[in-house]
Amino acid sequence: MVELLKYIRGYLRIRVWGFSPERFMNLCSNKGILLWNIVREGDGYCMNVNLRGFWELRPIVRKTGTRVAVLERYGLPFFLPKLVKRKVFVAGLVLTLAFWFFSSDYIWNIEVSGNYQITDDMFQSFLKDNQVSIGMRKDGLDIEELEKEIRRQFPQITWASARLSGTKLLIDIKENDAPILTEEKEVSQGTDLVAEYDGRVVSIIVRSGVPKVSIGDVVEKGSILVEGRIPIYNEDATIREYSYVDADADIVMEHSASYTEELPFDYVIKEYTGREKKEHYVNIGGKDWKLPGDRPFQVYDSIIRESRPVLFEKLGIPVFWGDVTHREYLNVEHTYTVEEAKVLLNQKLRDFLLGLDEKGVQIIEKNVRIETKDDSWLLEGEFLVQEPAGARRDTERVVMEETEDKDSREEDGNG
Amino acid sequence: MRKNNDRTQKRESRKETLLETLKLPKDICMGALKVTLTGNREAWIENYRGILEYTEGRILLQCKTCQVCFEGSRLSIDYYTNEDMKISGCICCVKYSDGMNP
Repeated sequence: MVELLKYIRGYLRIRVWGFSPERFMNLCSNKGILLWNIVREGDGYCMNVNLRGFWELRPIVRKTGTRVAVLERYGLPFFLPKLVKRKVFVAGLVLTLAFWFFSSDYIWNIEVSGNYQITDDMFQSFLKDNQVSIGMRKDGLDIEELEKEIRRQFPQITWASARLSGTKLLIDIKENDAPILTEEKEVSQGTDLVAEYDGRVVSIIVRSGVPKVSIGDVVEKGSILVEGRIPIYNEDATIREYSYVDADADIVMEHSASYTEELPFDYVIKEYTGREKKEHYVNIGGKDWKLPGDRPFQVYDSIIRESRPVLFEKLGIPVFWGDVTHREYLNVEHTYTVEEAKVLLNQKLRDFLLGLDEKGVQIIEKNVRIETKDDSWLLEGEFLVQEPAGARRDTERVVMEETEDKDSREEDGNG
Repeated sequence: MRKNNDRTQKRESRKETLLETLKLPKDICMGALKVTLTGNREAWIENYRGILEYTEGRILLQCKTCQVCFEGSRLSIDYYTNEDMKISGCICCVKYSDGMNP
């Protein structure tokens, strides 16, 4: 630290000789001039003296009858004028500083954190729509407005904070963990449950609505199973009005289902020849730069490994580098053997059945066979399954005659 | 002359007892030399008046009451200010002598 200070203020190495150099030193210390590294050399002394002290030496020199010679000069006051002479260097320094000042007015990186449901791409396009992009000026950004816009655009964001850290725009958001509740319609228009496929009803448990089928009935696709229109009768057993509800029931229907899976005899696999070529590239601001070269192989795939120097990442400079490895391969045709085909087809069938199981489908009967057809293996399966049924459809509304409608309204009012 | 010497000695000892009882630092009040030696390589000296002689083998310092002589080889002064100085080199002997007749 002391060395640095000495360097900044500048110092000289001087040689003192003559009548009484010791007296010279004593006078120097009395006047508060710091001397250091005093070494005897021949008939004189060499010592360091700081620049300011050097200007005060003249009266001392005269008084003691000594002579002083400057041997070397150290420090910034001597170094700077030399530096200024190197014009290109100074120009470079000034330009660098100017560039730093200039570029620190812009946003060079945008970091979004805390988003789980909203993907980065979604957020990026949102930012683009709001004219927030890398390379924009900092003072062109209204942070508060941006925060408001985020909350306006994405209702699931409960808290948003944007701030500038250097040339980096940091956006922190917090998403609502609880699912968003959409308000249900208060007045139901009524819905029916209809059959999605032909089949036989195995069981039916109705919670709301009017059942239109009973156990053992064979129904066609599209026919109503449970109706959401509940009739309200008058005393004379005529219908006075209908009340509409969302039909709700557990219905299980039995029907047949089929599954076919085809597997060609031949298949193509990639066989790597082991020949590889590596290419290096630099990506600056989204544009790739690499050495020009021919197509490496006839058929190949590539693995790209990209990294960004830590320094650039910290500074937010969009410079990446990486390498691409091209691997040559050959498309080789193979033929499945019977065993292989059976294993593969059975695996596919098992996946299909597992999928059914997850949907709550029970398999009652199963008939599977594997055949050959033209140039492929064919798996055909016939199943008898029991499956939950019932698709929603709006209930057909019946318009009541006006007079009756009025009556009912009045009665409603009284009730 | 001897009488005079006796008198100054008496005065000195009286002053010393006074400082002792008051627990005052002696180096400041009596203008005594203060030498700190680190092994035989370095020496810090305070409370001196000036340099009388400086060669590679011998440094002679003038103090208020006495002279002190550092002898050794490759002696050099690292820094030299009004308050303190540092001598480095190979010190083999520190000698005190009466300031009146060097």
